[in-house]
Amino acid sequence: MKQIIRITIGLTVSCLIAALVMGSVFVITDKAKKHNEHVNVQETMLGLLGYTKSHPAPSDLKLYSLYRYIITDGDVSMLGYVLPVVKGDGVGYQLTVMDLDGRFVSQSPLRLTPDEASESTGRTAALQEVLKPPKAFMYTDATIVANLGKKRLAYLLPGEFPGFKTFIHVMLALDPSFDILGLEITEQEEDPGLGAEIKQDYFKNQFKGKPFEKIKDLHVVKEPLPEEYKAYLEHERGNGSPIPTGELETIRSKYQDKDIYALTGATISSKAVTDGVKNMVAKFAYRINRLDAVISDQHIPVAF
Amino acid sequence: MPATTKTNFQLVSNGILNENPIFRLALSMCPAVGISTTVMNGLMLGVAVLFVQVFSSCTIAAIKNHIHPRIRIPTYTLTIATWVTVIDLVLAAYMPAAYKEMGIFVKLIVAFAIITMRLEIFACKNSVPASFWDGIGMGLGFMFGMVTLGFVRELLGMGTLLGYNVLGFRPLLFFVLPAAGFFCVGIMMAMFNYMEIVYNRSKRAK
Repeated sequence: MKQIIRITIGLTVSCLIAALVMGSVFVITDKAKKHNEHVNVQETMLGLLGYTKSHPAPSDLKLYSLYRYIITDGDVSMLGYVLPVVKGDGVGYQLTVMDLDGRFVSQSPLRLTPDEASESTGRTAALQEVLKPPKAFMYTDATIVANLGKKRLAYLLPGEFPGFKTFIHVMLALDPSFDILGLEITEQEEDPGLGAEIKQDYFKNQFKGKPFEKIKDLHVVKEPLPEEYKAYLEHERGNGSPIPTGELETIRSKYQDKDIYALTGATISSKAVTDGVKNMVAKFAYRINRLDAVISDQHIPVAF
Repeated sequence: MPATTKTNFQLVSNGILNENPIFRLALSMCPAVGISTTVMNGLMLGVAVLFVQVFSSCTIAAIKNHIHPRIRIPTYTLTIATWVTVIDLVLAAYMPAAYKEMGIFVKLIVAFAIITMRLEIFACKNSVPASFWDGIGMGLGFMFGMVTLGFVRELLGMGTLLGYNVLGFRPLLFFVLPAAGFFCVGIMMAMFNYMEIVYNRSKRAK
């Protein structure tokens, strides 16, 4: 009996010490960690829009986030968008609810500051004020709209889809007519040397510049990647042989409407990315068109 | 096993050669087979293991007299988990560039047999300095094993080294696949065993 008590106490104490150490380290590092993640995401987004350290983004580039929620009221499901709206000189937020067919249901202002809106806890608190039980809501995804002044420059879509092993996380940039501006693989655990090659320029850059009409019918072909196309896909990084500027345009237009060339030995990963991107673009185009229709019908003073 | 009488240098070289975790003890084979596909992957995991091993060994050596023998294994696991979490969080917060490369490897370490085994066999019977050097030796030995495997597999499987194109073609795609990891480990083990035989023979001849 004495043994049991000693073992129990010993285990409890060691767990407590471990928890204390881990907890205090978490508290100390949490802020810096979140900041790093934020910087990472920002860099990815700006990189997709073509802005780098040597070619910084102009000051009138603004990124607005739209958050999509599914709202359930008994058996009825609706879509709720948390939208940034013009409020005085700054940005306010409002909730716009529409049914699944895209018909406008209601709108209500939210008490949110931009800082609170970027945190899921802040948004949840603000939404709870507006959506009283039995209405329930669930976060689904976010879209970032990049504006240059008043003009819409691009949509940035973070997304994920199943790959060969686990989920592949990507960030996709679309221009206002839904042509792909760029694709970045943010997280993946495919096989190194095989599926993991999806993050290489010669695969992911194949998506760059694909027009919307082509994306609807995008397939993967199991053909070797032509040498000149590979050189073109890798030319931005500066590795690979340089291409005369005049030829870039010819190669680009030659392959613009081609399918995606599969990676050697990783057809499933290639297919997963292609289908995932295809899906994301199709769904997004449908949703944003519905949302834009509601916004212009209801004269919502959106910030983007 | 009584407290060690080896010098610090012997402790370090012991981890790299006599008791190399991968090739001699055949411990932590999952990462050896799964992750050693490139030199860089091997190196990153090696560095991560080195740190966790040293920190955990020192911690256990320092508190060995306070651990109830019945709960020593849970305590080891807790210690390793704590250090892994701490290293993971600190890297993520203050070294984002390193975290980008090493993040996924650090989280894998909790389940590694080599660290628990070293705590059980060595750290809980020896002083803090001896455990420190033993941890360094084991970490370096593991890193050496991973880098060697990575070298062979990356060169033969992808024709590259550290991401640079060396051969210009891919000799055998098979070497990148997990199964090839077993072949590489097996061949390396055979080489280590052969080296031991030759060494012993020459010793006896003297």
